[in-house]
Amino acid sequence: MATKTRTIEVELSTSGLDRSGKPQRVPLVTNDGGVSIGIPEPLALEPALDGEHMLINLGPQHPATHGVLRLVLELDGETVVRCIPHIGYLHCGFEKTGEYRQYNQIIPWTDREDYLNAPGNNVAMALGAERLFGITITERCKVLRVIACELSRIMSHLVWLGTTSIDIGAYTPFLWSFHQRELIYQLLEAWTGARLTTSLTRVGGLMADIPDGWTDNARSFLAGFDKVLDDVEKLLTNNGIWVGRTVGLGVMSPEEAINWGLSGSMLRASGVSYDVRKDFPYLDYETYDFEVPVGVNGDVYDRYLVRVEEMRQSARIVRQALDRLPDGPINVDDARVILPSKTKATSGMESMIHHFKQVMEGPRPPVGEAYVAVESPRGEKGYYMVSDGTAKPVRWRIRPPSFLNLSAIPKMVEGHLLSDVIAINASIDVVLGEIDR
Amino acid sequence: MAITVKRVSRHVEQTSYVKATLQGMASTLKQMFEPKVTIQYPEQRWELSPRWRGTHRMLTKEDGKARCVACGLCPSVCPSNCIKLVPGEDENGNRYPLVFEIDEFRCIFCGYCQEVCPEDAIHVGQHYENSEYSREGHVYDLERLMAQTHPVSTLWDATDPRGE
Repeated sequence: MATKTRTIEVELSTSGLDRSGKPQRVPLVTNDGGVSIGIPEPLALEPALDGEHMLINLGPQHPATHGVLRLVLELDGETVVRCIPHIGYLHCGFEKTGEYRQYNQIIPWTDREDYLNAPGNNVAMALGAERLFGITITERCKVLRVIACELSRIMSHLVWLGTTSIDIGAYTPFLWSFHQRELIYQLLEAWTGARLTTSLTRVGGLMADIPDGWTDNARSFLAGFDKVLDDVEKLLTNNGIWVGRTVGLGVMSPEEAINWGLSGSMLRASGVSYDVRKDFPYLDYETYDFEVPVGVNGDVYDRYLVRVEEMRQSARIVRQALDRLPDGPINVDDARVILPSKTKATSGMESMIHHFKQVMEGPRPPVGEAYVAVESPRGEKGYYMVSDGTAKPVRWRIRPPSFLNLSAIPKMVEGHLLSDVIAINASIDVVLGEIDR
Repeated sequence: MAITVKRVSRHVEQTSYVKATLQGMASTLKQMFEPKVTIQYPEQRWELSPRWRGTHRMLTKEDGKARCVACGLCPSVCPSNCIKLVPGEDENGNRYPLVFEIDEFRCIFCGYCQEVCPEDAIHVGQHYENSEYSREGHVYDLERLMAQTHPVSTLWDATDPRGE
């Protein structure tokens, strides 16, 4: 194949504006002169047609693909012969951008990659940076982070439940679950000032403590939540349409699930009891009393059951965390990473100098690397960062659980009907922001 | 400890769609007598949390000038590089912003500018409806930032000690 050269212009993300006030643009690859790197045209990935097979595109603009996922399906009548997922339509360059940001500045970025689990990502990022810095966070901060993680797990599963039921043809659970999600949004809004992009954590602590009366609001939400979950289950679990549309679809055996690298609810629905919170506890999860739901058949129906049960268990954890919430500071007493409080910074010269140095130069971890894995609603979410002793990571990498879960879709949809592809794809709970990063 | 989820053991053919449909409709009908949870936007407005991080606002001193002293903390901490600041100095040696522009279109509303501001000058506030017909319309200059009247976020402020 002849190699063609393409010119790519990339906007430098950090250098900002040039002298005329326009964003600076630097050609990475040039056709004549300068650096010239040949980028071959992508190989043709579409399957070759033979006989009566038909080729269709599902997505990237199809609402049932839950984002900009494109599935190229080879159909024999209505049966799927082959499926090739195409990703990359939502590539935002988070990892590369992170290399030009201080650790605290990356935290708003983590809101946006797995956008259904923003508080959980903030916590994971902060945990990774704290491991790099060698910081132990305070007890109150730990408990508050657990509350945030579990609320965001419930929130994410509610979105999954609503959208999946709408894909399969049930409209009511969507409205009910989105109402419950709205109530969690109100809690997060009162706490962080934002609903979706929370930016909740800072290295060594949290952006803010919970406001007065927040725990009572959280408790009253939990009191109503279980009832709504019961109602949704009443609509779906024994519903003949729901059972007929989900049982026996996309079956993954435990061995296959492990070999395909699945994690989270996908893996547990196949009968493998693996949960990062249980097996590699962080934030003192080993001291909370909760169960890990495990499925039997590993089909779409089991994934539904596992996720509903996970929501109940998460609600249990939030209740325990609210009960044990200790008083005390939310930030560590470590001047290397924590900004002085606003009153202090504006009243004393020393604090003001500290404040300026902290913001302009940023906290600097020692040379080293850190990997931290947390249980996100989609599975084992990892953040890996390498430090060379400066305020910005040399490399910041995300291990996206839904990327690995999605990789099994060609295997799962093979031999099923086209309409079942929608159900199977929905059961993976893909978040394309996280897959394409 | 792992628990196994309960599965219904009956076969698909044994289930009746009619029964399921009626059950679903009964559940849905019950909701008609529950309190309403929706609001009729824009006639009805949602009350924002006092910590809401929305459109920026520049607070002013008693003499009507901006509080900003052009220290340069907010443009350096901004993760999305949406603040443009050109500092100037008056005849008394006091610094003030010659140009202070925030591109609300580029802004990600993380609130870091307010968190680091040592003069309580730039704030994010309780306002979210900032549609414009052009991208240029989203660039708020100093006058426009000072002309905003919405309440500012109580985060990182002495009025909300728990959020500081």
